[in-house]
Amino acid sequence: MMATEGNKKKAILKKILVVKLVLLLAAGGVAWYAFTKGFDDTSAIEADFTVNATPFLNEFKLNDALNEAANKKYAEKIITVNGRVSSVEAADTTLNLKIENPDGAYIAFAFQQKDQAAVKQVKAGDSVSIKGSCNGASFSNILGVPYVTFKRSSLNKIYKN
Amino acid sequence: MKKSILLLALTVSAGVLFAQKKTTTSAIVKFDATTPADAMPVAENKTVIALLDTKTGAVAFEAQIKGFTFGNAMMQEHFNGEKWMNSEKNPTSTFNGKITNLGDIKFDKDGSYTAKIEGDLSMKGISKPLTGKATIVVKGGAIHATSDFTIKLADYSISNAGGKLADEPKISVSSDFK
Repeated sequence: MMATEGNKKKAILKKILVVKLVLLLAAGGVAWYAFTKGFDDTSAIEADFTVNATPFLNEFKLNDALNEAANKKYAEKIITVNGRVSSVEAADTTLNLKIENPDGAYIAFAFQQKDQAAVKQVKAGDSVSIKGSCNGASFSNILGVPYVTFKRSSLNKIYKN
Repeated sequence: MKKSILLLALTVSAGVLFAQKKTTTSAIVKFDATTPADAMPVAENKTVIALLDTKTGAVAFEAQIKGFTFGNAMMQEHFNGEKWMNSEKNPTSTFNGKITNLGDIKFDKDGSYTAKIEGDLSMKGISKPLTGKATIVVKGGAIHATSDFTIKLADYSISNAGGKLADEPKISVSSDFK
């Protein structure tokens, strides 16, 4: 009788240990996934906003200051921007695209590595649709203008000039 | 009359070709705080604004903190968080300085030059003096400048995440001026 009860206790303890081990492994797996997870391809992410470059840039200006409400609205969001490229700039071995307003305010896009071949086809004057992760706007004391930058951008479309 | 027009045209072209204040909006800043235990804290920002004044030797950079991209999403979130860069409160990092051996650098002659640089680096609302060297390569009127240096996280009140980050991360700056 005593031996049977002892065996039952051992079996329960064994089950508890197995459950604990499974939970520990699962937690470890979740933590490992979170610590090593990269970013999804931007082209596969649905945009939070779709905007035209000029009104988008104007939204960041509030009289002579930066509109912080626009920064809160757009920073860290995935945004599709449509506009005309004013220049293609080399950033080491990669290319950035820039859309500039007549007043000097501009948007600069840094691209995902996989989009570099497509970006090479773009020339100043081409109209483009670009989706990227918005870093928000800042005011440049060097250039004396406000600017917005994007990272991990993806080139949706080129409309050749 | 023709001579005067030619002279004027030459003067204007020379002014354009050798404009003193050169800027770019595509300079690159790389940040490497890796340790033997963690290879993930590496990031780069490719939309940094840079200035080089070839007459006065002034050098300046402006980098948006949110413009740094990491390979890992969680690491990027931590980087922008309060204990690290607190990018909500301090959205940009700047460097303002000058070349102290400007006479050694011939911006109108192709070659590779070593520039000594002194200035102030501001991060997280704290400004500290920084001295270092940069390599300036002049080729066909284009200028390529690079510099590598280290900073102390403690100087800028940045937590090293319990030893997960290098106490003195390496920073590399690279810019093309035309």
